Amino acid sequence: MRHYKPPFGLLALLLAAALPRPAAAQQVLLRADPVTDTIPARYGPNRAFYQHLFVGYTAVAGAPAGPGAELRYLQSGELFAGLRNKWRVAGPAAVGLDARFAYLRYQLRQTNQKLVPTPQLHHRETLNLTQLQLEPFARLSFGRRGNVVGNYLDVSGWGGWALGASHRYEDRPGQGQGKRTLVKEARPAYLHRWSWGLGARLGSGRYALLARYRLADSFSGSAPATYPELPRWLLGLEVGVF
Amino acid sequence: MILWLSGLVGLPATAQSPSRPAAAPTARYWVTFRDKAGQTLQPQTYFTAAAQARRRRQHLPAFDSTDLPVRPDYLARVQALSDTVSLVSRWFNAVACRATPAQAARLRLMPGVRRVEAWPERPLLPAATPRPNTGPQPAGPPARLSSADRALAHRQTAVLGAAEFRRAGQQGQGLRIAVFDVGFRGTDTHPAFAHLLRRQAIVATYDFLRRSPDVFRGGTHGTEVLACLAGQLPDSTFLGLAPEAEFLLARTEQQGRERYAEEEAWLAAAEWADRNGADIINSSLGYTDRRYFPEQMNGRTSLVARAAALAVHKGMLVVNAAGNAGDDPRWRTIGTPADADSVLTVGGLDPETWLHLDFSSYGPAAGGRLKPNLAAFGVAVTAVPGGFERVEGTSFASPLVAGFAACAWQQQRDLPVMALFARLQQAGQLYPYFDYAHGYGLPQAAAFRPVGPPPTLPAPTFDFIAADSLVSIIIRPEAGTVPAYQLPLLADTTANGPAAVAAPPAPLYWQLRTATGFIVRYEVLEVGQRAVLRVPLRQLPPGGTVRAHYRGYTASFVAP
Repeated sequence: MRHYKPPFGLLALLLAAALPRPAAAQQVLLRADPVTDTIPARYGPNRAFYQHLFVGYTAVAGAPAGPGAELRYLQSGELFAGLRNKWRVAGPAAVGLDARFAYLRYQLRQTNQKLVPTPQLHHRETLNLTQLQLEPFARLSFGRRGNVVGNYLDVSGWGGWALGASHRYEDRPGQGQGKRTLVKEARPAYLHRWSWGLGARLGSGRYALLARYRLADSFSGSAPATYPELPRWLLGLEVGVF
Repeated sequence: MILWLSGLVGLPATAQSPSRPAAAPTARYWVTFRDKAGQTLQPQTYFTAAAQARRRRQHLPAFDSTDLPVRPDYLARVQALSDTVSLVSRWFNAVACRATPAQAARLRLMPGVRRVEAWPERPLLPAATPRPNTGPQPAGPPARLSSADRALAHRQTAVLGAAEFRRAGQQGQGLRIAVFDVGFRGTDTHPAFAHLLRRQAIVATYDFLRRSPDVFRGGTHGTEVLACLAGQLPDSTFLGLAPEAEFLLARTEQQGRERYAEEEAWLAAAEWADRNGADIINSSLGYTDRRYFPEQMNGRTSLVARAAALAVHKGMLVVNAAGNAGDDPRWRTIGTPADADSVLTVGGLDPETWLHLDFSSYGPAAGGRLKPNLAAFGVAVTAVPGGFERVEGTSFASPLVAGFAACAWQQQRDLPVMALFARLQQAGQLYPYFDYAHGYGLPQAAAFRPVGPPPTLPAPTFDFIAADSLVSIIIRPEAGTVPAYQLPLLADTTANGPAAVAAPPAPLYWQLRTATGFIVRYEVLEVGQRAVLRVPLRQLPPGGTVRAHYRGYTASFVAP
């Protein structure tokens, strides 16, 4: 008995032609699914959850706790970028969590009273902290609004770990025959690696004015007791990326 | 003129409180009163003759309680207790004012006050911002219109039946159309409107932001919208269907500025239009996500939607652009006041395919209500300062349909507004089929033919063939072929272009509907073969139907 065995490709083609396909036919010029299109979104600036990037700069503000750690204020500050996660709780109230990368630099003025980290004078000298921070916050929004960020006030607590810390200085003229000498002291023991504090943000749309206050001390227990505490305030501007 | 305007309902009034705290921050509040006890109205003096005639035609009372003035004693108390009163609304028996929170608290305790609501300031965005056809527009005067643009200028009205209306002498004569927009810069000097100025067809103007009669400044969006109602090209082609109508121009919004951008200007303009005898309001504006959520597009939430509904209640047809958010995943749906049930919402069609333009906002309105109601070309040639330009946006579809409505109403002048609304929907090229992209489609003047044979039911063009697990749509042989037709000869060409416009190849529209009529899925298919569609029966909602439309014929298949 001879069996005819159709080729596999032809069989597949016949099966494909015989099986019902969902509304398959001509070229579709327009298609819409209102059942899914009209489901209220859960994600959005004023929805259950929202996530966006942000960048900003805060300047160091205030005076050190004593003489010996004067700063060049315009050049001392923190540059940061991060990701914000926001959950709407009810009506105007929301909570959130920021994760950010922050680079904080204290530019030390070179004065005769200088103590931090040494009395030695240089052409330029900085203390630098590269930090990873988390900042939970509570948000109160003002005014009725649609699916936009709107006007808000955030209060927060923040904490972070310095991934890198350094003390850098530049001497001019440099040592020996050099025009300048750059020295970097990595992870100095006198700098505190953990940092924490409180913050507040007053925002409208993508822009926000913010203030952070550091509760933790700048210098660790191994720092000389004569080191005055560095200014605790940071004031600046943040821009949301959305 | 100023005296006449100063007496208008809804005109912003101003009063300074002597007891204003020096440094207290103020916010805006909407104060609603309980009653209008003791108020009377002389409709013969309050309403213009046109407004009185409109009410008589529609068998409406000469006035009702919403037309009565706000009680002066209530108003005086609010003026004394608040910082500034910016609007007095007879329709809502309310005032908008600026006050400190302490003043607002005192207002709540005032006798006769029903409610005091915070009234945030938000911009009334053009729901239909003109969309440049190709990238940013070059600076300087607009380029000359190409032959394709001139052809489009003719087609944008021809597809609605301009020739038929013109033959019947229906070009909006005796109709008064109010246009609410962001500004009408250049309207008073543009040659496209010379015929309107010549016969003084712009009967009243008012800028509700600057409180002056001068509306010929600010943005040009209103100029472009007006052109799609009554503009004229130098070759005499009309860009809209109502060049013989009269117009009321109201500037209700300042584009890009939040300070003046408020819903109350729209309400004030609607009351002004009512008093001045407007038959139709065209509003190519709308609120979207700056203030509302899509699920709030229910016709009841926003003040403008409620104001628009009240305007319809007073006999005016409100035509509103659907919006340009169709390709915005954050919004996608219509804005407000287009969400109001009684507002005729107009979506945008591609002039080449007569199908939905991607940017035209989709329905349904919240609650699954049909929106948009109709559609017209969302790409149009319009007048801009210095010339003419091809522009995109449902802003321009709306006045095209408003002009159509004017012609239709002119033919049946005594039709109540909601009867006209229903007739306009029935004039849609897809009627009784509709979907949430096209509504009932492009309205056709033939539906308002004053004389001639009564319309006959269209012959079936397809059949449903049900198998075990499938239902198929098979195009009938006679409908699947395009009969030979004669191209118009040069002799048939009128000064306004050829008399007939060839429609693009007819597609198949089909949808799945629930038992309650909600459309859960819809498509438009190009028809390239007779067996055009197969739908597995399991896809039908319980008790639902497959509904299809092809070449004027609509039929449904009910799930077994």
